[in-house]
Amino acid sequence: MKYLIVGASSGLGKELAKKFAEENNDLVIVSRDERDLNAIKSDLETKHKVKIDVLPLDFSSINEINDKLLSKNNLLSNLAGVMFPIGMMFDDDNSNLNTESISRLINANYVSIAYTIQKIKKILIKKENTSIIGFGSVSGFLGRDINVTYAGAKRGLESFFESMAFDDDLKKANIQFYTLGYLATNLSFGKELILPKASVKKLSNIVFKNRKVKFKKTYYPMYWMVVNLILKIIPFSILRKLKFK
Amino acid sequence: MSKQQTEKRRLFSFDKSFSTNVIFSQPDKYKLLEKVSYNSNNLINIGSNLSYSPLGFSKESLSINIRSFDRILHFDKKEKTITVEAGLTLIEFLNFTLKHNLWIPQLPGYPTITIGGAVAANVHGKSCGKHGTIRKSIKSILLFHKTHGWLNLSKEENEEIFDLTIGGIGLTGTIVSVTFELMEIKSSKFTTEKKEVNSIEESKKFILDESKDASYTYTWNRADNLINFGKGFVYKNYLDKNPSDFHGFKEVKRKFRPFIFPMWNKFSINVVNFLYSKLNKLSKSEKNENFLNVIFPFYGNENYFNFFGKKGFIESQLLISEEKFESFIEEFKSLFKQFEPTITLFSLKNMNGKQKFLRFEDNKICITFDYVNNKENLLFMSKIDSLYDKYDIIPSVIKDSRLSKETIKKSYNEELISFKEKLCKFDGKRIYQSEISNRLEI
Repeated sequence: MKYLIVGASSGLGKELAKKFAEENNDLVIVSRDERDLNAIKSDLETKHKVKIDVLPLDFSSINEINDKLLSKNNLLSNLAGVMFPIGMMFDDDNSNLNTESISRLINANYVSIAYTIQKIKKILIKKENTSIIGFGSVSGFLGRDINVTYAGAKRGLESFFESMAFDDDLKKANIQFYTLGYLATNLSFGKELILPKASVKKLSNIVFKNRKVKFKKTYYPMYWMVVNLILKIIPFSILRKLKFK
Repeated sequence: MSKQQTEKRRLFSFDKSFSTNVIFSQPDKYKLLEKVSYNSNNLINIGSNLSYSPLGFSKESLSINIRSFDRILHFDKKEKTITVEAGLTLIEFLNFTLKHNLWIPQLPGYPTITIGGAVAANVHGKSCGKHGTIRKSIKSILLFHKTHGWLNLSKEENEEIFDLTIGGIGLTGTIVSVTFELMEIKSSKFTTEKKEVNSIEESKKFILDESKDASYTYTWNRADNLINFGKGFVYKNYLDKNPSDFHGFKEVKRKFRPFIFPMWNKFSINVVNFLYSKLNKLSKSEKNENFLNVIFPFYGNENYFNFFGKKGFIESQLLISEEKFESFIEEFKSLFKQFEPTITLFSLKNMNGKQKFLRFEDNKICITFDYVNNKENLLFMSKIDSLYDKYDIIPSVIKDSRLSKETIKKSYNEELISFKEKLCKFDGKRIYQSEISNRLEI
């Protein structure tokens, strides 16, 4: 079996690469950081009997996706699944963010994922039971004053994954979407958060276990489902007042 | 990329004698390691923070935790070499190498110590009489330094920095990966032999005479009172000659959480030592033991440290020549009679190597004492410190967090001066600084 992991150099992506390689799956790992990808490749190939292909590219650029990923037919053939544990964030992502950065954020967190899935759909539906796994964020629950574009892109991505469930072409594929709360990764390092940071190792085990489930839309950790429900019930005007109180 | 890649933490030295608030960072990418290093004036490296003395942090330095760099970068079974990242722990390292019947024998007493930490401290294990320190297994190092960038260190390339980095307590830069020359190991099981001894002189004789044939020879001696001083047991661990399959060690998270009140005092130490002696006398003189019990004796016995309570303990590890050993012990005993210190552990082993720079390494006898951290003991220890010059004793900077700059100056003498000079020549701004390097003015 071979899986494509986009955003594999750190955090959840690195942990997913570890887990899937431990279970004897070959991998194609994608990230901007070639040095880290090569280190992961050496580690996993040394420890397990697997083949790891490394593709260093900037996933916010459609041109790079075309040139460095989609042109590699041999690497993409026979895929058993794709995973997108990717999250690009900028410190200055507020409602005044410049258009170039907005475009990069929307591309990396949404457009490029949708584009890649569209382009490799034919390969994915050749086999039954292929998995397409996406990762959203609890930041997409509600409009906000920081990570504005990131949150919007993640909300759009969730909708795209829901829509895939209605796609006739993909009815034999396993579509899964995880809305992620705070994870113990470098993205959350040093941030004072109201709820605890969850383990990426546990999450990678869950993702592996669920990979053959037909359709799954879930939260990790699960208590974020309750948070989402509460936020849905409270009128937006009240939430806004709470913010400015 | 987010700005917030640092956080404030309160860190304690493992012996609990020192704590401070620090800025802490845990990069998980090479690019991030470079970035956090460039963004701070002073830096220091930290692994699992299991150093007895505060080597991995300082109030003024950003502590860079290298734990996320935990990968195997290269392995050549035929050549018996392995390159691993510095954040890999010893148990993770052994879980891979032992599967191939290979290892390094210079392993310190706890399995979650990182490779980077082990190299920076030039660690030794129970077999140091035979195998020396970890220095003997290191082939090359990849170092990242804020101003010098990425440096390959080995005997062939940047030899002086290579030499400074091994046992250099993290002051030359961030050790990112290390290449080791591995040794064959047929079995991961041990046979342990023990013999009762009635004096420290008898213990010394055993460790000097019998360490040549055994993998590990070390002693456990009583120091709870003067009457029993030196009584104890000599242990000899032999690796099984029959090959055995290795199935991997399970990593269990164990916590060092000191009790609110200290449990070690003269009475409890006396009782525990008495019971331990009785049990040893009653049990067989030879038994089979598993690898973890022999190599990492405190793994699963963390309460030994927790019993010291919030104030912790002080470990003193000393190197002394065979010739001066007896007279030193006599003087030690005389001060013992006067000050009645509370000592929980007293042990001897033989050490092999060559002393250089700040490295705790020489062809000498290694004596270890663990003291309860209290005023009386600190006074006693200061009296012992004053004997170092007389008996040419080398104390361990890694273990004893209490050592003063004057004591280190006297003991390490020209080697300390040489270390300082070479370090300053390499890094004029002295970017990498820890609490210990500040105290010792390195």
